[in-house]
Amino acid sequence: MAVDETLGEMLARRGFSRRGLLKFAIVMTSSLALPPGMAAAMAENLAAARRQSVIWLSFQECTGCLETLLRTSSPTIAALIFDFISLDYQEALMAASGSAAELTLRQAVAANKGKYLLAIDGSVPVADGGVYSLTGGKANVSMLQEFAPDAAAILAIGTCAAYGGIPKAFPNPTGAVGVEDVISDKPIVNIPGCPPIPEVLSGVLVYFVSFGRLPDLDERKRPLAYFGTTIHDQCYRRPFYDQGKFAKSFDDEGARQGWCLFELGCKGPTTHNACASLKWNDGVSFPIESGHGCLGCSEPDFWDQDGGFYTSLAGGKGPGWRDAGIAAAVGITGGAAAAFGARHKTTRPDVETPE
Amino acid sequence: MQNFNFLADDGLVDALLMEVADLLQALIAHRRSGSIDLLGLPLSASCLAALEQRLGKGEMTATLVASGTSDIRETSFPGVWWTSHADEAGRIVAMLIEVAEVPDILRAGSADIEHGRRRLLEVTNFNLARRTG
Repeated sequence: MAVDETLGEMLARRGFSRRGLLKFAIVMTSSLALPPGMAAAMAENLAAARRQSVIWLSFQECTGCLETLLRTSSPTIAALIFDFISLDYQEALMAASGSAAELTLRQAVAANKGKYLLAIDGSVPVADGGVYSLTGGKANVSMLQEFAPDAAAILAIGTCAAYGGIPKAFPNPTGAVGVEDVISDKPIVNIPGCPPIPEVLSGVLVYFVSFGRLPDLDERKRPLAYFGTTIHDQCYRRPFYDQGKFAKSFDDEGARQGWCLFELGCKGPTTHNACASLKWNDGVSFPIESGHGCLGCSEPDFWDQDGGFYTSLAGGKGPGWRDAGIAAAVGITGGAAAAFGARHKTTRPDVETPE
Repeated sequence: MQNFNFLADDGLVDALLMEVADLLQALIAHRRSGSIDLLGLPLSASCLAALEQRLGKGEMTATLVASGTSDIRETSFPGVWWTSHADEAGRIVAMLIEVAEVPDILRAGSADIEHGRRRLLEVTNFNLARRTG
């Protein structure tokens, strides 16, 4: 793509029609919870826009965030997003290494000063001068402080970059923190999740390229369109919660009937993310649909939450493996007694036990 | 897994149909088109089916093949269109009720028309050149 070429010119050169771009904009406005009438304006703005420079720095991370974004197999999103941005620096993907890579980084920053999006995945270790994670001998925290001032905005991708994530878990020996704990004078959008949902990053990028600013954010700097509701609010098992029908163990009749996983520790009611609507693996499923409760991976300090993953938010003691076995052995009477006990443990008055 | 047909909500369908009627009024009075993003609403599959059934099928159906297939179908109410967009894997990625004389996505873009005109001339000139000499 020529430097001065607009996205519209580039797409036309590849045989991509206005209808195709409008369709893409319709899908993105729906994803971003924008009024459908904005699709035409988005398509027009995208056609007139030029490729957005993105400089991606990986800090204290596991590469899971990058993997999930690259593994999205939706051709529309994968192809178009990478057409719309110029990924000018990403250590794991670029061919250059060593001093050549460092030179590429500095050239990209100089060429796009004040305009580039700085994408960060991984937490920022700040203990002992940040020596626990270095790139080219330079501490991550120093790199962030050096490259943030010339960025148009910062994308903190994944729970680690947003809030510190797993590296920040107790006892946090590296002093891991999120990007916003280091940088406070730049627009930052947090896209948490372990890993984050690829479509959310796509939506944020398309919005920025289309309208030249970040989308509306919530109080934790997350895109409101994707993090405005909890997983529980959109969960297909929600009717069972409302009816007081809960699985008591992962292999009981309630689990087989697809009842609510609240008592098995599901953190859906306190977790803001779009897993229940966008789902994973091109819309195939999400953890609750696959039979496991939500871990709350997109919330701060999710690894250190009280009681662990299998303790219910109401303070239960986790999956009743033993209770379920006893109930099965003694039949309906035993089940009813277990249900009575569960009502007292969970403080919910309307819990049913599967027959 | 249980099915969730019990979630069908006629009240929600009626409310959406009233909104469609309002959009039609805006189209008649101001020639202003509008649309409803169905995937953005908490509609169950049965609710969507009930809505589609109530709107019925009209005279016009179009298929767009661009980054996957899109079906654009006029309902039994003129000016009310049911459009669904699938990606290349066949997954529905957008579904709308559009209220318009013709949905915008059916129009050919001016840049595309110009590109097509040039391509047509190239082909024609090539054939002419081949025949004449």
